[in-house]
Amino acid sequence: MRIIIVGGGEVGFGLAQALSLRHEVIVIDQASEAADRFDKLDIEFIVGGGTTAETLRRAGIDRADIIIACTGLDEVNIVACGMAHQLGSPQTICFVSREDFLGLSEQREGLERFGIDRVVWPEAQLADDIERIVATPGAIDAEVFEQGAIRLVEYRLDSDSPLIEQTLAELRLPPGSLLVAVRRGDTFFIPRGDTRLMAGDKAIVMGTAAAMTEVQRRVTPAAGTGRQRVTIIGGGDVGLRLAERLDAMKGMELRIIEREQKRGEMLAARLRHALVLNGDGTDLGLLEAEDIGRSDVLVSVIDNDEKNLLASLLGRQLGVRRIITRVSKPANLRLFERVGVDVALSARGAAVASVLHQVEGGQASLLAVLEEGEGRILEVQVPPQHDGRTLRELDPPRDSIVGAILRPDKAIVPHGTDRLGSGDRLLVFCTRGAADQVRTFFSPRR
Amino acid sequence: MRLAVVIHLVGVLVRLFGIMVFLPALVAALYHEWTDAAGFLATALGTLALGEGMRMAGGPRSQAAAERLRRVEGMSVVAGTWILMAHVAAVPYIWAGLGFIDALFESMSGLTTTGATVFRDFDAFGRGIFFWRSMTQWLGGMGVIALFVAVLPRLAIGGRELFFAEASGPTDEKLTPQIRQTAMVLWRLYAVLTAAEVIALLGAGMSLFDAVCHAMTTLAAGGFSPNPASLAGYSPAVQWVILVFMILAGVNFALQVRVARGGHGRALLHDEEFRAYLGAILAATVLLVPFLMVNGTSLAAAIRHGLFQTVSIITTTGYASEDFNLWSDQAKVVLLALMFIGGSAGSAAGGPKVVRHVLMARYTLRELRRTLHPRAVLPVKLGGRVVPDQTMREVVVFMLFYILTFAIGATIVIALGADLVTGITASAATIGNVGPGFSAVGPMGHFADLHPISKIVLTLEMWIGRLEVLTVLVLFRGEIWRSARWQSE
Repeated sequence: MRIIIVGGGEVGFGLAQALSLRHEVIVIDQASEAADRFDKLDIEFIVGGGTTAETLRRAGIDRADIIIACTGLDEVNIVACGMAHQLGSPQTICFVSREDFLGLSEQREGLERFGIDRVVWPEAQLADDIERIVATPGAIDAEVFEQGAIRLVEYRLDSDSPLIEQTLAELRLPPGSLLVAVRRGDTFFIPRGDTRLMAGDKAIVMGTAAAMTEVQRRVTPAAGTGRQRVTIIGGGDVGLRLAERLDAMKGMELRIIEREQKRGEMLAARLRHALVLNGDGTDLGLLEAEDIGRSDVLVSVIDNDEKNLLASLLGRQLGVRRIITRVSKPANLRLFERVGVDVALSARGAAVASVLHQVEGGQASLLAVLEEGEGRILEVQVPPQHDGRTLRELDPPRDSIVGAILRPDKAIVPHGTDRLGSGDRLLVFCTRGAADQVRTFFSPRR
Repeated sequence: MRLAVVIHLVGVLVRLFGIMVFLPALVAALYHEWTDAAGFLATALGTLALGEGMRMAGGPRSQAAAERLRRVEGMSVVAGTWILMAHVAAVPYIWAGLGFIDALFESMSGLTTTGATVFRDFDAFGRGIFFWRSMTQWLGGMGVIALFVAVLPRLAIGGRELFFAEASGPTDEKLTPQIRQTAMVLWRLYAVLTAAEVIALLGAGMSLFDAVCHAMTTLAAGGFSPNPASLAGYSPAVQWVILVFMILAGVNFALQVRVARGGHGRALLHDEEFRAYLGAILAATVLLVPFLMVNGTSLAAAIRHGLFQTVSIITTTGYASEDFNLWSDQAKVVLLALMFIGGSAGSAAGGPKVVRHVLMARYTLRELRRTLHPRAVLPVKLGGRVVPDQTMREVVVFMLFYILTFAIGATIVIALGADLVTGITASAATIGNVGPGFSAVGPMGHFADLHPISKIVLTLEMWIGRLEVLTVLVLFRGEIWRSARWQSE
């Protein structure tokens, strides 16, 4: 496929790197300095504006299959998609970062008028992710599917966790829940009946809403009672969106630290209950004076990795129980978790993964990415050749597991004896390496 | 400040007021009170001449200049028009036999919807006079100037300053982009409600004359009654009707328009001032009922009188469903506290207004919170919106001057021979535009026996209270007068 990427920033680079292996990629950017990074990739780099017809024509817009606009400016991205739509007929993917354009994603008609096929809003995705994690005590990652009927939670097991030192069979997780994957050091595997969980493992559990409540009680018996104290550092796009969501929750004691006075006043005007503090998130005096150490969760979402790390480590030092940090450079993800951040999340990383999947797409759609893309949740349709089989007879590819069966009237987390029907949809958990095999396995056979 | 412009505009407004005076002349003639009718007619003609004279004295250039009215000029026009109207409105009382100071007191009490009276003997006056008393309150309730802004196309632009200088409360909301439209919509609602009350009162068994007079003074939150016993002279059914319309008179009229247009009451309950207003009424009633039952009053009567008096005082109407001067001090102190609350902003009620108390409470809490979190950004909010610092400052200054004016007034009245309770409540009831106080100035008493200087001071307090302190007090700044010119520089 011929793919044009407008914008040579972090996102553009990530996309180009991944797509250039199999596709013809053209990157357009105003700044010629940006070209240096792309030298080692097998792509074409054009210096010019993504919103000028001449540049787009030079990039071969009439033959392009997909255009991805991912500069830092929303307006530029929208115009680039609109231009591309008029000059050729590629599929258009538009990155936005501000709320002003939220209206777009809600009204399909409005999107069509701008010639945009899909909107990607990484900051919103990140804020939503963080909200789910904050709302699940003890979790380091959390996802919901089918409007909350199916939930997935990732826990880190400490030495005092009630789940360790037992085989999976002995563990007897509540019916309707399933341990889908375990991360131990650098290995990532799908457990079997005789797998024994150990301290330091990360366990990913999937289940129905009711079963997950039970799991939650088992894993963190102490949590979930009384008020939650949450501190957000950084009131930017992500911070504001997250704060608005948390502000609306009951039993939430929210503080948000913002450096700029004007922005702080805006935050205070928008939020009903939250306490907005004007200051630097890395100012130890302020953190101590406001007793930030007593927070249950500290979320650091400044748009600067070094500051985020410093604020997070100060929080840890003061005794915060759970720390969630935003990471801009995907390379820093691992590093952050190694030095004591509980959850490191990258807005761009998740966005890049979702766009990649859409490009590679096929029958399966990617619903969620876990552990920096090593684990994936795919949604597939049961093809005719598997109709009527029980799960035990199915024998899916290695490193994959069926996590849930979705039927029009209900969603179930299956046993081996559950039988598949051709109308069913499945949520399949798999590792990165197994994703392609899973897609093939669930494609209808001719 | 351009004096010519101010005088010109005051003339225009006073001339219109003169036209209004033909109405009581008609009423007096209807009841064959020819002397009073002649008095009203003379007043009307004299006022027309005076207004026309002032209009012409301002010169032809003022008419164009009036479209670019400055804020201080707007305030001067409003304050000046009000004091001049009070004098004009006093003439029929003088004609009917009152002294000048008493007549001015009574007319200011009418226009400012206070309802304090110097009438000793109600039988000494004709129906025309009682109609005029009620009518001045009706005009003053929604605002005479708001009415003129609504009917005078020429005030389309300058009217904005005039409208807000007269309006009550710290809000400056407009229902429509044009101030003239807003004034018209508000006056229409006011007239419709008044007509509805007349019909309801007739249904409850009141005579037509009494119904019209009471409807005019209820919606205006005024409190003049042609009956010397006030509402104590009527049946409980009448009292309930009055009660309902008094509550409405204390609610922001712009809010009522929005609810009427939207067709549902949710906007009402979302309004923080309205909720606080209802809360205050309920709390005071709950406090009053046991105090009233101590003397053997039945529960039903205690609720009726407790609620009636609470609403009457908080809306600064000042009607009495019974002589509350005979109540225990425990009950009276509740009423005294209500005098210092007042109704809602943008209503016909006087007093400091509920919203200012809400804002003051939040401001105080904000400062308390700031001591705990010195770095916090803590805006004062109302209805989810941030209240600008400028508004907050004006509220604080208003409260300070309100209390100060009250204290000075009470001190003077007591120093001139009134007893402590009379002095304090007379001052509170006049600056709050309530009307009756306790003791000598109780609901069945009158202000006629006070020292003449006391009456002048209380008259000024009514004026200051109705125009919300700052509009009047700013005129006492020397620099305004030093920089005053006849025409623009």
